[in-house]
Amino acid sequence: MNFDKLEEIGNQERSRQEAYKRRIFCCTSTACLSAGAGQVHNTLDQAVAACQCDANEAEVVKTGCMGLCSAGPLVRVDQKGQDPLLYGNVSPESAQYIISKHVPIQRDDLTVDEDEMDQSVAPHDFPHYRASLRRIRTKTDFDRLIIPLDIPFFAKQEKVVLNETGRIDPDKIEDYLAHGGYRALAHVLENMTPEEVCNEILGSGLRGRGGAGFPTGMKWNFVRQESADQKYVIVNGDEGDPGAYMDRTVMEDDPHRVLEGMMICAYAVGASSGYLYIRGEYPIAVERIRKAIRSARRWQILGRSVMGTDFQFVADVRIGAGAFVCGEETALIHSVEGKRGMPRMRPPYPSTSGLWDAPTVINNVETMANVPSIINKGAAWYANIGTEKSKGTKVFALAGHLRNTGLIEVPMGITLREIVYEIGGGIPGGREFKAAQTGGPSGGCIPMEYLDSPVDYESLNQLGSIMGSGGLVIIDDSTEMPDFAKYFMEFCVDESCGKCVPCRIGTVQISKLLDKLIAGGGSLEDLEKLDNLCQTVKTTSLCGLGQSAPNPVLSTLRYFRGEYETLVQDAPAD
Amino acid sequence: MTTQNQPNTESEGHPSGDDRYLSIDKSMRQFKYEKDSLLEVLNAAQEVFGHLSRDLLIYIATHLNVPLSQVYGVATFYHLFTFDPQGEHNCIICKGTACHVKGADEIIAALSEEFQIEAGETTEDGLFSLTIARCLGSCGLAPVIVLDGQVYGKETPDAVTRRAAEVVALSRETLAENVEVG
Amino acid sequence: MAELIIDGHKIQAENGTTVLEAALNNNIDIPRLCHHPELSVSGGCRLCIVNLEGYQNPVPSCGLACEDGMVVTTKNETLSGLRREIIDLFISEHPLDCFTCDKSGACQLQKYAYEFGVDKTRHEFEISKPLYQDDNPFFIRDHQYCILCGRCVRVCEEVVGASAIDFVKRGFTSQIGTPFDDPLKDTTCVFCGNCVQICPTAALLPVSRLDRGREWELDRIKTICGYCGVGCQIEYALKDGEIVYAQSTADAPVNGEFLCTKGRFGWDFATAPDRLISPMVRKDLAFELGLTDENWQLPETSPLSVRNPKIEDSFVPVGWDTALDLVADRLAAIVKESGPDSIMGLASARCTNEENYIFQKFMRLGIGTNNLDHCARL
Repeated sequence: MNFDKLEEIGNQERSRQEAYKRRIFCCTSTACLSAGAGQVHNTLDQAVAACQCDANEAEVVKTGCMGLCSAGPLVRVDQKGQDPLLYGNVSPESAQYIISKHVPIQRDDLTVDEDEMDQSVAPHDFPHYRASLRRIRTKTDFDRLIIPLDIPFFAKQEKVVLNETGRIDPDKIEDYLAHGGYRALAHVLENMTPEEVCNEILGSGLRGRGGAGFPTGMKWNFVRQESADQKYVIVNGDEGDPGAYMDRTVMEDDPHRVLEGMMICAYAVGASSGYLYIRGEYPIAVERIRKAIRSARRWQILGRSVMGTDFQFVADVRIGAGAFVCGEETALIHSVEGKRGMPRMRPPYPSTSGLWDAPTVINNVETMANVPSIINKGAAWYANIGTEKSKGTKVFALAGHLRNTGLIEVPMGITLREIVYEIGGGIPGGREFKAAQTGGPSGGCIPMEYLDSPVDYESLNQLGSIMGSGGLVIIDDSTEMPDFAKYFMEFCVDESCGKCVPCRIGTVQISKLLDKLIAGGGSLEDLEKLDNLCQTVKTTSLCGLGQSAPNPVLSTLRYFRGEYETLVQDAPAD
Repeated sequence: MTTQNQPNTESEGHPSGDDRYLSIDKSMRQFKYEKDSLLEVLNAAQEVFGHLSRDLLIYIATHLNVPLSQVYGVATFYHLFTFDPQGEHNCIICKGTACHVKGADEIIAALSEEFQIEAGETTEDGLFSLTIARCLGSCGLAPVIVLDGQVYGKETPDAVTRRAAEVVALSRETLAENVEVG
Repeated sequence: MAELIIDGHKIQAENGTTVLEAALNNNIDIPRLCHHPELSVSGGCRLCIVNLEGYQNPVPSCGLACEDGMVVTTKNETLSGLRREIIDLFISEHPLDCFTCDKSGACQLQKYAYEFGVDKTRHEFEISKPLYQDDNPFFIRDHQYCILCGRCVRVCEEVVGASAIDFVKRGFTSQIGTPFDDPLKDTTCVFCGNCVQICPTAALLPVSRLDRGREWELDRIKTICGYCGVGCQIEYALKDGEIVYAQSTADAPVNGEFLCTKGRFGWDFATAPDRLISPMVRKDLAFELGLTDENWQLPETSPLSVRNPKIEDSFVPVGWDTALDLVADRLAAIVKESGPDSIMGLASARCTNEENYIFQKFMRLGIGTNNLDHCARL
């Protein structure tokens, strides 16, 4: 159907939603589900039903990530004419209390008894705090669940990619439409030429969010300018960095945004077919994207005549099977082609010869998810966010030794200090900040002295790290850096495809050297050997995995060399 | 004998009569028996059968017209494909960065000690498998484990070992009872 | 055509040529292990890396298409240093058995270790795949010497079309294997041995080769294979007059380096102890003709039913003149007695075209019959 009809459906859904006095959102993203959100959601549903109140009193909505994963399960109550209230660490018990507090109840047996609670437990003592929160007894207990929405964790963020995440039901295309979904695609199809679309993205300054930071508009233009009967768009959802779940969240909680971005890209470059490559470890993301594709197909948003226009596009999901290297473009292509996920040399680049030798755009999930907003609000608006060379926002999965961990979206250029101490709430347990690790196994550690560095592509590169896909792990002084570097190197050894010698054997030898040093059997010569070997592997490896595998070692050698030297037998005494 | 130029044969189930092969047929049909769908078909096979086997790979190679050596090469490349049946109880330890810095290694060591197996192995009696996952995406709950499909967060080595030992002991008891009765 | 500069020389290259090919065509050598002119490009060994102006890191020349205006450097201190490091990594898991290795002198890894002065590894030695497979009579697979260049996989898939082997597992544990590590005879392998020839190290060696001598001690003879009408060129390696193994060379006009199982492994008839080396006449006829004193009768049971029949028990060797006279006399007599069509001629694919031409002329004009056939029709 054409966009007018879709917009009408969206409007109807919006009216339907606005008719409710209150809407109760329960996060059902993987992290909260792991903490018991499934039961919480069921309880909320049952409790509202049991209230037997008027139909427009309350609606329970299954939604996506609200960001503060360390405080999950999260429930937010949006009330007409009032500020929303966010509850954290919700249990089925406290879920009942939330309903009893907000929804007019007709039954007395749903109120919770008053009792004494243990006041001595401090909020940052996580395991005990969580346990105590599950014994909700008094109003004071209950109020401790409320998380103010003006704390820096929320206030310092700027939502573009995560705009609808946590506010819509990901399984309902109507909800996406009610929030302005597919308007950008309609506008592009009706009012813009492919060249104009590419240039708009180019003008926005959007750079690849998978880690490489290549200008997206430039990549699209390369493919657009290729003459070929068939071109492809691939969305790279093989989020392999351990500790990164930004793409998973967007795919699970706002799948249509990814589809819309993908289709705008397809129109811009002249592709009629596309694939979303999702890693096998994300079954829920696979299911939600598949469901979104089915809905889109049913309403002719995908197919032979997109929204009634001449543009045709079909999309399908391809599932990975446990290979980090398949996040690399050419390895990913081989995987979609049913082969071992081993990269090949570039050039030729996928934009010239990619999937089945056709010109192909491969963009990360987050990159694609930025596109609808850029089209809707304009390149100038996007370029106004961020720094001179790094425009827009970045989603980070903030984890590690921090009070507040979870998913955040911040403008490029924010400092690490703001992220760690304001958004993150600082280091718990009386410990000190030691380093911020960005870029996962391909990145490096930023020590205390550079905490005021802006988070953008160039600054992080200069500091010996990379932006990466968005994993941001904070470690405190209980972590030993050689051991931390070894963890990443073991990961690379495990994930190396084995095609080229520097990576296949080099990573193993680097790992052996680290083992030797950590066991106390190394010498200064070994340290030098380590440095040299890292440089060789970095310079001569065939693909990005090998080329960036030594980064954690090199970066910890650069900033924490002292720790390596204390391990060494013949180091001069300080 | 090469398999290069033979036409794809439409599959109608395995000679053994094992119904699960019909799901594989469905998957191959869905992808029109294209060679490129190998990974999707193997994914379906892993899900339906729980692990891959010689018969399965020969079946898939024949119907997709892909050399068996290449099917085997693909199956052994990706870590989500297994050739050994999983134990009755499966414990997955997340080894993501956040879980690592919060002590995932200690949990692995404790379980290895308790069940006398290394990560990636199954106990001899087939009751317990220990698996490593690279990142389960629940970093706020680090360290995270999944025991028989149930996710547990903020775990300690003792708590996990106790939990796992309990479920395995229960299975052992049931097995012993069956042996007595049978 | 593209015009580029390699090591200061102006080179013309056809479109689609790689920098490596262009260099080799112009006598500029670039080290390489996984590259082979007949196979698709891999890019895994990293030895062929060159400096390309405008690129910070060196790039592999085997996959780099020539373009106008490229400026390439194939040799300098830095590149040699990197190549040395790469070879060092190779030998950190490759036993340095050159003293007793049969491939010594023909081993590509040894060649580059020598060229770059790498005599031992600076790393901790660990063999990634200590596996020795000896499951067929033709060649052994000694995985500890395998450098995973993938040439064997590519030749089996691209040239032979059998696809019997592929890379298995990944990373450091990668190896080349058959499905489920089945013995080769249970796979699609046709034992053509092209993988053996194309292997740069001692990982694949013919069984007949083992412990038979050093490469430089062997004599080489080129000849044409007698097994079929294709007429592939074979180069036999001999030690003290005995064939040690067969291979072919890249310049062979019909087949290049590739042979089939018959040509490559089916030569043991040539030096078999019971091979016929002169014409033989059966003893009873020989006695009749006065060629022997032994009065021998044809036994009731066939000599072939005796285990290990010795040919000298039933036949005596004669000279060529005697034999040819005998055959000519006998054939002429048969023609006179029973007519030309009582004789049939059976030609062979193992003969050359010229031999078969003469043979059929002999049958038609000499004997006078058209009763003629060829073993290929069997």
